[in-house]
Amino acid sequence: MTILSADSDTIIAQATPPGRGGVGILRLSGPRSLEFAQAVVRFTKSKSSKVTSTQEMTSDVKPQLKPRFAHFAQFFDKKNDLIDEGIVLYFPGPNSFTGEDVVELQGHGGPVVLDFLIQQFLDLGARIARPGEFSERAFLNDKLDLIQAEAIADLIDSSSTQAARSAVRSLSGEFSNQINQLLESLITLRLYIEAAIDFPEEEIDFLADSKVTKGLDEIVLRITSVLQTANQGALLQEGMRVVIAGRPNAGKSSLLNCLAGENRAIVTALAGTTRDVLREKINIDGMPLHIIDTAGLRTSPDEIEQEGIKRAWQEIELADQILLVVDASGDNIGKNVSMDNVQALWQEMVFSDKIWADKILKKIILIRNKIDLLKESPTEIENTDLTVICLSAKNNKGIDILRNHLKKIMGFKNLGQGQFSARRRHTDAIERALKFVKAGEEQLLNAGAGELLAEDLKQAQNCLSEITGEFTSDDLLGRIFSSFCIGK
Amino acid sequence: MDFPTHFDVIVIGGGHAGCEAALASARIGAKTLLLTHNIETIGQMSCNPAIGGIGKSHLVKEIDALGGAMAAVTDLGGIQFRVLNSRKGPAVRATRAQTDRALYKAAMREVIENQLNLTLFQQAADDLIMDGDQVAGVITNMGVRFNSTSVVLTAGTFLGGVIHVGLNNHEGGRAGDPTSTALARRLRQMPFRVDRLKTGTPPRIDSRSVDFSVMSEQPGDTPVPVMSFLGSTKYHPQQVSCFITHTSEKTHNIIRQGLDRSPMYTGVIEGQGPRYCPSIEDKITRFADKDSHQVFVEPEGLTTNELYPNGISTSLPFDVQLELVRTIKGFEKAHITRPGYAIEYDFFDPRDLHHSLETNCIPGLYFAGQINGTTGYEEAAAQGLLAGTNAALRALDKDQWYPRRDQAYLGVLVDDLITRGTKEPYRMFTSRAEYRLLLREDNADLRLTEIGRTLGLVNDRRWRAFSEKRESIELELQRLKETWVGSESKLGMAVGSVLGKPLSKESTLADLLKRPEMNYSALQSVDENSTAQGQIAEQVEIHLKYAGYIDRQKEEIDRLKRYENIELPDSLDFRQIKGLSNEVKQKLSDSRPQTLGHASRLSGITPAAISILMVYLKKRRNLAG
Ligand SMILES: Cc1cc2nc3c(=O)[nH]c(=O)nc-3n(C[C@H](O)[C@H](O)[C@H](O)COP(=O)(O)OP(=O)(O)OC[C@H]3O[C@@H](n4cnc5c(N)ncnc54)[C@H](O)[C@@H]3O)c2cc1C
Ligand SMILES: Nc1nc2c(ncn2[C@@H]2O[C@H](COP(=O)(O)OP(=O)(O)OP(=O)(O)O)[C@@H](O)[C@H]2O)c(=O)[nH]1
Ligand SMILES: [Mg+2]
Repeated sequence: MTILSADSDTIIAQATPPGRGGVGILRLSGPRSLEFAQAVVRFTKSKSSKVTSTQEMTSDVKPQLKPRFAHFAQFFDKKNDLIDEGIVLYFPGPNSFTGEDVVELQGHGGPVVLDFLIQQFLDLGARIARPGEFSERAFLNDKLDLIQAEAIADLIDSSSTQAARSAVRSLSGEFSNQINQLLESLITLRLYIEAAIDFPEEEIDFLADSKVTKGLDEIVLRITSVLQTANQGALLQEGMRVVIAGRPNAGKSSLLNCLAGENRAIVTALAGTTRDVLREKINIDGMPLHIIDTAGLRTSPDEIEQEGIKRAWQEIELADQILLVVDASGDNIGKNVSMDNVQALWQEMVFSDKIWADKILKKIILIRNKIDLLKESPTEIENTDLTVICLSAKNNKGIDILRNHLKKIMGFKNLGQGQFSARRRHTDAIERALKFVKAGEEQLLNAGAGELLAEDLKQAQNCLSEITGEFTSDDLLGRIFSSFCIGK
Repeated sequence: MDFPTHFDVIVIGGGHAGCEAALASARIGAKTLLLTHNIETIGQMSCNPAIGGIGKSHLVKEIDALGGAMAAVTDLGGIQFRVLNSRKGPAVRATRAQTDRALYKAAMREVIENQLNLTLFQQAADDLIMDGDQVAGVITNMGVRFNSTSVVLTAGTFLGGVIHVGLNNHEGGRAGDPTSTALARRLRQMPFRVDRLKTGTPPRIDSRSVDFSVMSEQPGDTPVPVMSFLGSTKYHPQQVSCFITHTSEKTHNIIRQGLDRSPMYTGVIEGQGPRYCPSIEDKITRFADKDSHQVFVEPEGLTTNELYPNGISTSLPFDVQLELVRTIKGFEKAHITRPGYAIEYDFFDPRDLHHSLETNCIPGLYFAGQINGTTGYEEAAAQGLLAGTNAALRALDKDQWYPRRDQAYLGVLVDDLITRGTKEPYRMFTSRAEYRLLLREDNADLRLTEIGRTLGLVNDRRWRAFSEKRESIELELQRLKETWVGSESKLGMAVGSVLGKPLSKESTLADLLKRPEMNYSALQSVDENSTAQGQIAEQVEIHLKYAGYIDRQKEEIDRLKRYENIELPDSLDFRQIKGLSNEVKQKLSDSRPQTLGHASRLSGITPAAISILMVYLKKRRNLAG
């Protein structure tokens, strides 16, 4: 009988919900956890003493981590610059959460610092954990009981869906453009090289060509520029995405203005005022949040409005939460409104039976707006399967109830992969790709080893596939056959 | 009537798959019957008489490493040998042999007739004998019933074969041979998914009508390469040259004008051809801007005048064929001895097979060769060897065996077919192998011969030669790793002069050999203790040059191997597994992967799905106690 055991590599991930300030926890698990931690962690006598020169470092003496003991420590990068300070805990396997050697680092720095710390461990040889992988390992190592197995399957499923969504989001248009161009140049180059290898009799020996070195230079350039874009953080949009949606004139833009505390969106009595998507980044008690106002949903002959509605749908699909705004006075929606009512209303707006409606319904908070016209007072109602918040955007009444509700959900959500880890995954993959491309170039230039260059380029593409999706050897052959006339 | 003998294994078909299947089965010790239409066509090459080439020679050498006949027979029949990619690094080098069709066939027949445990019978198989859901033997068209424990079917292009020349077509297994209509009909009643593929062949030309002086000559390599690990140039017959000529714009115009009578371009042929261009009409249509295409002019043998013009496979009408051939340089007066044609035939969806090549739904029945959707002698022979081996192992009540993707091109071939199926005639290319640096033709024996010995496929002679070779390689590697060379020493200075700059520090000979500027023969010129020759010197050098890359590939293999060993029980209901998306559940239920590794290679199966499967299996096992 075979053993169902976990992978034997050492993994790392952030263990706190990202973006919540305060303490950030990194967790390492696997046989090399202690070794990696020892390379980053140093003990100092007192909390206030600062290391001023490398002479004072005792870098050749490994810090001894007592099992299950909270050490105060400082964290350094490989150039011995201080990154952060905090607590480090070591749990030797099998008496740990995962059953493997586990190290936890708790730092004070924000997301950027944590991210930098993760980078140190990746450089040492750790791998970013897959969604749910810590729990998976715990289960495979008999650390969790059977009843939890199902929960773990759900966790893996939901957190990987969420990670995928985070990844899509962190790909701003610019970034994904660049990645696609990069991928295209890589494929083209591989096309030439693989064709030269597999079809030497076809009068196409590109390996001897200057095409290849030129292609390599181009790829290195593109990778560098992609990494720059990624690191500028321009694409980084941290925080939960709350999309305001509803029929025209329901008061969506008014609500955005209330939440933003400023008059960001144009409000008029005309139905169809909002055309384009409007984004506002706000804070609720320090937690970042994106509020997105969209065009009212209806069928419209107006081309601009149609485009706006299309964009609204795209936002709805990517949303973490949807504030479905209805006009409580006009839409005839009472306080005891149920999910069925919402569904009916939704279907009416969708004018089609979109298959993902169910998934989207789950994210809805119903906003009964314009209660001033009904002379009601603001309140939050928890119906069996639906949260309803009654407010008046125009009079700024009940907005705090909504804020509190959003804060509450934020506590539960976002537990999986944050934007930062999504971005870290990407940059990590791109950096690994760059290493392969450079190694391959060296093989070609120094040893004329085209087959080794081919191998390195294949690995480089495998790295990029983690972002862009699978590209099989059969896909490559298809491209070769459509680019070159091959066959005897 | 019932034939008086009960066989362990019956192999239907004496093509390339059938020969290796029958031989492998008999070598293992199973009582084997080879049943074929015509004993005279055993080992017949339906198309170009050439063995090897990129990706394919890798298969041939693997067959050889497992004791098969193809490489040795090629050494006996080869009339021109070349190593392709010789300047591109050992992993992608490939040996190709032009063979004499008659010599090859005769040599293969001799091997077959002299194989212990192997019986021959000339007769078409029309039906299978069933025992419940299992296969139990074969009925011939004369009505003779042969009983057996396993059956290997290798009917090639003969199932439902239709031959096209222009808009005319007729039934045929290949030119001059009948189809297997009864058997094809019988198989279509069984629960296999059947589809159609097509392939083609060029017209043959009488060499006496050809002007070679205007073509460029392509001689074989010197020294002459050999195909088998046990081969030697002393087995080779006389060596000859091939020639290269080109089509012209005139050729292309004639073809364009004939397209309205092409069975492919008028929709008469429905079977799917490959994405690469097998026919000249494909080439000029798909790459209209190319004004000339290469044609390799290859002799079919030493005692025949027939030539094989490699590169102008066609199913255009005969009058167009004649006209187009005569626009090619050197062919102005060419006489066509046989017209080219295309053939459409049945193949079975290989996703209905296990990795052992046993069919999913009929225990004991194995499929190998072209009927699994592949094209090529080497691909067929390799599958034949695997199917014959497993059919015999089954009959002898032993565990089935198949190589993993990291062990052999044969492993890649079978895994590709079974996990992904094929929509076109599947041919091997080195880019299909993710571990190309490990799966070289030069180390096929190091990868497989020991396994072959355990399975009973490798005889004493091969085993002895192999063991000696392996030991010499290990000894020489050890010596190189343990010999230190100081920068000031005599040897150190000599090495420095080879490198073009003095050594900066003391190094081992192994480290010096890893340098791009250094190779074993250069080392031999300065170090009298470096005495390894031939295959041993080659292995030592490759081993050191590729070391870093090979270590990395091995690490990856070890990581993935874990999944290969985790079996997915037949009783598993994928639809019951919570957390998997419906799409994944559907995919898994459809393809019923046998191991977690197999599942992970199906398209659309994510790492998250594999994690969820792992967790589920663990839970199931714990519950079972
Ligand atoms: C026209 C043509 C062109 C080709 N062109 C190329 C090419 O360009 N390049 C390339 O690599 N490959 C080519 N091939 C493919 C190559 O010939 C085959 O892939 C290879 O021969 C398949 O081997 P096999 O053993 O599966 O079948 P085959 O070699 O076809 O052998 C099948 C054998 O089974 C026997 N048989 C069939 N049915 C029965 C039965 N019912 N009872 C008893 N015996 C039976 C037949 O007589 C025959 O001996 C071509 C094939 C054809 C026909
Ligand atoms: N009485 C009352 N009127 C409101 C309230 N909220 C919004 N309105 C009015 O409703 C009208 C439409 O408001 P908007 O915020 O522009 O509505 P919208 O949903 O963004 O509309 P579109 O952008 O056209 O889809 C304006 O005249 C607002 O002043 C409310 O709480 N009470
Ligand atoms: Mg608006």
